[in-house]
Amino acid sequence: MAAPLQHHSFSRTRVDLIAIVIGLTLAALVRFNILPSIPF
Amino acid sequence: MSAHTIPSPAETRVPVPTESLRALLPGVALLFGIGILGKALERAPSLIHTRYPHLFIPHIEYVLWAILLGLAVSNTVGVSARFRPGVATYELWLKLGIVLVGAKFLLQDVLHIGGLSLALVAVELILSLSVMTLLGRIFKLPPKLTSLLAIGSSICGVTAIMAAQGAIEPEEEDTSTAIAAILTLGAIALVTFPAIGHFLHMSQQGYGVWAGLAVDNTAESLVTGALYGQDAGRWAILVKTARSSFIGFVVLGYAVYWSSRGLAPNVKHKGLFLWQKFPKFILGFMAISILATVGFFTASQLTSLSNLSRWAFLPAFAGVGLRTNLRDLVGQGWRPLVVGILGEIFIALVTLALVYWSYSHGVTR
Repeated sequence: MAAPLQHHSFSRTRVDLIAIVIGLTLAALVRFNILPSIPF
Repeated sequence: MSAHTIPSPAETRVPVPTESLRALLPGVALLFGIGILGKALERAPSLIHTRYPHLFIPHIEYVLWAILLGLAVSNTVGVSARFRPGVATYELWLKLGIVLVGAKFLLQDVLHIGGLSLALVAVELILSLSVMTLLGRIFKLPPKLTSLLAIGSSICGVTAIMAAQGAIEPEEEDTSTAIAAILTLGAIALVTFPAIGHFLHMSQQGYGVWAGLAVDNTAESLVTGALYGQDAGRWAILVKTARSSFIGFVVLGYAVYWSSRGLAPNVKHKGLFLWQKFPKFILGFMAISILATVGFFTASQLTSLSNLSRWAFLPAFAGVGLRTNLRDLVGQGWRPLVVGILGEIFIALVTLALVYWSYSHGVTR
């Protein structure tokens, strides 16, 4: 199997930062009752 | 890297579409589709049992369903190029889930169990590095392959191996062999650890701490914990996160060792090197945990965040199955695998003994 794209890729740090930004954004949306509770 | 499985993409790099984020959609849809199908299949036995009460149908957790479905896809029809960029985002979902699960940990828990696990991790690190190096010599593995196996088994599996790749400049084949060995061992842990945990009647916390200490890859560690129970999964994440924070120190040690032999580039700025290798998503986890500790969220909001973290983990579970190609894993030659298996068995037993000792002496709650 060929490896997925090697170029045009995010660094690991960038993935980490995206995860942090999305996580904190979701936390803010939940905190200020903008995002409703989504049952699992 | 020659690929034997879908490489754990965001462990170091996540493929990005050249034109737009639309290229990610098929793979992301596949991840969520498999995860949601896994959830549906988890509920199916109770529905069938209602209609046919005489039938015995075992209950299988959605975590296991998601992995099995992913494995079935990757080992039959395979993951086509169209889906690969999106499937590779499973690591992003995993990290997002870890950031959000910080809401379930008050800071005092993090410091308490984190402090304990740091001590256990230190012991685990020394043992892993020593045992893997010794076994590598006994089985006459190439020295850099031995280094990669030692780094992968002591810290965080594929992430650590990929982080070491640029630092110690191993042969490409060594890297893929080490990754395949670590992924194979992770797959074995998924099956064996929950069985051992049930056999020993381990508590959720004790088992989770053990899974976090002994299973190398973050994704497999989470899944191995989650297969035992939701709480075990959370503890596994916490301990695994503490373990991952050591990555820079271990890789730096090996980089300095190989550069002193003239077989790797010099590390000029060690502080910068440590920061570059530090897994930054841990900071997000800590931030959410601190906010939860200071009462920024209400109880229902904490539950909402916990649910969101479980939704984020769902595609990550599917990704673990989708990236694993069993034929390729066993085609790597027997010696690295034997070294890996022997080393991991030793590490698993020692960490199990450490966890048992910690609990029996009241070191943990």
